[in-house]
Amino acid sequence: MNYEWNVSIDKAILNNAPNVNKILEDNPYIKETAKELRSKKLDVLGNIDFYIDKTEESVKRSGGNFHFAKDSSEAMEIVKGIIKNNKNIVLSKSNVLYEIKLREELSKLGKDVWETDLGEYLVQINNDMPSHLIAPAIHLSKERISKLLNENLDKSINENTSVEDMVKAVRKFLMEKYLASEVGITGANAISADTGSVLLIENEGNIRMDTVLPGIHIAITGIDKIVPTLKDAFNEVIVQASYAGFYPPTYINVTSGPSATGDIELQKVSPATGPREFHLIVIDNGRKEAINSDLRESLLCIRCGRCYFSCPAYKYYGKDFGDSPYTGPTGIMWSAVTAKKYDKSLLCMHSGGCKEVCPMDINIPEMIEKIKFRYTDK
Amino acid sequence: MDDDTLNRILKMKNMVFENLMESYLPFPIDKKYYSSWTDKLPKDGDTVIYTSYMYQISGILKRYEKLFPKISNINVPKRLMGLSKFLIKPGESEIKRSFSIMNNIVNILQKNHINFGYLYDDEPYSGAILLESGFLKEFMEYGNKLNDFFKSRGIKRIITLDPHTTNALKRLKTMINFDIDVKNYIELINFNGSGEYVIHDSCLYSRAMDMYGLIRDKINKSGIKINENYLTTSKDMGTCCGGPLSLISVNDSDEIAKLRSEKLLKINNNVLVMCPLCYQNLSPHVENIKDLAEVIS
Ligand code: SF4
Repeated sequence: MNYEWNVSIDKAILNNAPNVNKILEDNPYIKETAKELRSKKLDVLGNIDFYIDKTEESVKRSGGNFHFAKDSSEAMEIVKGIIKNNKNIVLSKSNVLYEIKLREELSKLGKDVWETDLGEYLVQINNDMPSHLIAPAIHLSKERISKLLNENLDKSINENTSVEDMVKAVRKFLMEKYLASEVGITGANAISADTGSVLLIENEGNIRMDTVLPGIHIAITGIDKIVPTLKDAFNEVIVQASYAGFYPPTYINVTSGPSATGDIELQKVSPATGPREFHLIVIDNGRKEAINSDLRESLLCIRCGRCYFSCPAYKYYGKDFGDSPYTGPTGIMWSAVTAKKYDKSLLCMHSGGCKEVCPMDINIPEMIEKIKFRYTDK
Repeated sequence: MDDDTLNRILKMKNMVFENLMESYLPFPIDKKYYSSWTDKLPKDGDTVIYTSYMYQISGILKRYEKLFPKISNINVPKRLMGLSKFLIKPGESEIKRSFSIMNNIVNILQKNHINFGYLYDDEPYSGAILLESGFLKEFMEYGNKLNDFFKSRGIKRIITLDPHTTNALKRLKTMINFDIDVKNYIELINFNGSGEYVIHDSCLYSRAMDMYGLIRDKINKSGIKINENYLTTSKDMGTCCGGPLSLISVNDSDEIAKLRSEKLLKINNNVLVMCPLCYQNLSPHVENIKDLAEVIS
C-alpha cells in the first residue's frame, strides 16, 4: 500500500466530492442540461459520419483547416505537415495528445515542447504520466513538487517555499515559452458541428495564451467531442466543469477559425492579432469501431473525472488502475476504445459508484464487464 | 496484468464452467451438509427459498480462491477434486452462524406470511462467479441450463438471500429468456431491530440493483439507528469491501477491506452488512460486525 497516495487521494476526494454536490444543489439546471446533452451526444454517435462532414464544412467556412485522422500515426503526420520547421511549441492539457504520443514524437524531432497546464508541466518534468483526467499531478505531494522544481527550474525553491511562490516561478518560466512560441497545440472540450467552433475550459489562463499568442493553433481531439450545435458545446463545457468541481469555470475559450478583423470598411481580413492559421484534427483511433459495438455508451464520456473518486480500484491502485493517460473507471473504457487494452478491467470490483455520479449516466460497470469479457474470452 | 494471472483466470474459468455444466456446482462441495440447516421446509414448491450456498460457503471461498491456482497448476483430474483433500470445510462456529442466519430469514419471511419450499441438496449454484468475472458467454450458457432446471421443477418464484445470487438471476433476465420472478428477502419483509450501526452497503444491492433507498427505509422503520457520512456511506461515495478482487489478488483484496474498515470504524464501531462475502472480507478488521439477518426479527 502506498501511504503517500492514500493521503493524496483522500485529500482530493475531500476537496472535490462535497464541492461538486454543492454546485449541483445550487444550480439544479446543470443536471437537466446533462440529460439533454446525453441525448444530443447519442444522436451524434448514431450519425457520426454526418456530423464529421458537417464539422468539416463549418470549420472551412470560418477560414480554418479541417483534418480527419484514422489513427495516431496519421494524426502525427498531419501535425508534422502543419508545424514544418517551427520549433517552439506550447501545449495545453489534453489526453488525446497523450493518446497519440504527441509530445514524445515532437521532442524526438528536436522541437522545444512545453506543457503549459501547471499539473501537466509537473508531470512533464517528472518524466511521468498523468494520474487523473482533470488533476494530472494529484499523485505528487507538495514536498515532491518542491524537489522537482528545485532540480528542474529554480534552485532557490525548497520544501519551505509556499505554493504561491512555486506557482509564480512556473508562471515566469512559461511566460517566456508563450512569447517565443510559434505553434500552440490544444485538445478540445467540445466541438460544435454547426459552427466548427472549438470550446476549451480552464482556470489557469494558459489555454488563452496557447490559442492566441502563437501564429498557428492546432486543436486535436476525438470524434466523440463533436456535438450538434454551439449551444450543445456550451452545455458540454458547463457540465464538464461543474462535475469536475469548477463552477463557474474561470475561462471558456471559443475558437472558430483564425483571428480576423472587419474594422476597415467591414472587409474581413485574416489574420488580425491572434493566430494566422487554425487547424482542427479529429481523430478516430478505434472510436468508430466502438460506436458500432456494445461499447458505444463509453463514448458519451465528457471526461469530467468525477467517477474516479467513487472508485475503490482507483483509490487503491491510483494510475495503475488503467493505462495512463486513461486511468480510473473511464480510463478502462478509453483504453479499450483507443488501444484495445483490456487487462486492467480485471481490477474493477463493480462497486458501481462511478455510475451513480456520472453526468452522462453511463453504465460504467456494465461497460467494464464487457471489457472483461473481451479480455477473458479466449 | 501479467500472462500468469491471465492463464490462472482462464484455467479457473474453464474449471468452474465445466464443473457447473456437469454438476451445477462451481467446485465440489458437500451439498447434504450445506443444506442441512433446515428440515422444516417443504421440498420443492412453485416458490422456493434459494441459498445458492452463499452463506454456507462464504467462509471457505477465500481458501478456495487460494487453492484454485494450485489445483489448476497440478492439473488435478476432476473426479479427484471431490476427495477430502480438496473439500474444504468451514469451522464449526462459522457454519453454525450461517445456519442460524438462514433460519432467521425463514422465520421472518414466514412472519410476513410468505410461503415457500426449498430444494435442499438439489439446489444448484447461481453462476454469479461467471458473471462477476466477465465470463459472459459461459454465464449465459450456464444460465440456460439453470433456467431449464428451475422450469423442470415447476418453480415460478425464487426468494434469494444474498446480493450476488440476486444480481446474477436478475441479470439473467436481461440476457436470456429467464422469466422466473426473482425477489430478494429484504424486498419482501418488514422487520424489527435495535442498536446503532454504520451500514457497509453491498455494492450489488445498493447500486447495481438500486436498493439503497429501500434498504435504508426498512432499516430506519425497524428501530435500528444508522449513522451516515456522505464520503463513506452514501450511494455515490460508498465503496466495495474488496471481495471481488480476491480472484485476482488476495492481498490487494485484503488491503482494500482494511482501508474500507478504517473508514467505517471512524463512524461507528458497530458495522452492519448484508452480504456473506462482505462479512468475510471486513470481519478480520472489524470486531463488532453483524449481518442484517442476525439483528432483526
Ligand atoms: S465516465 Fe462519466 S463520470 Fe467518468 S469521466 Fe466520463 S463523464 Fe465523467
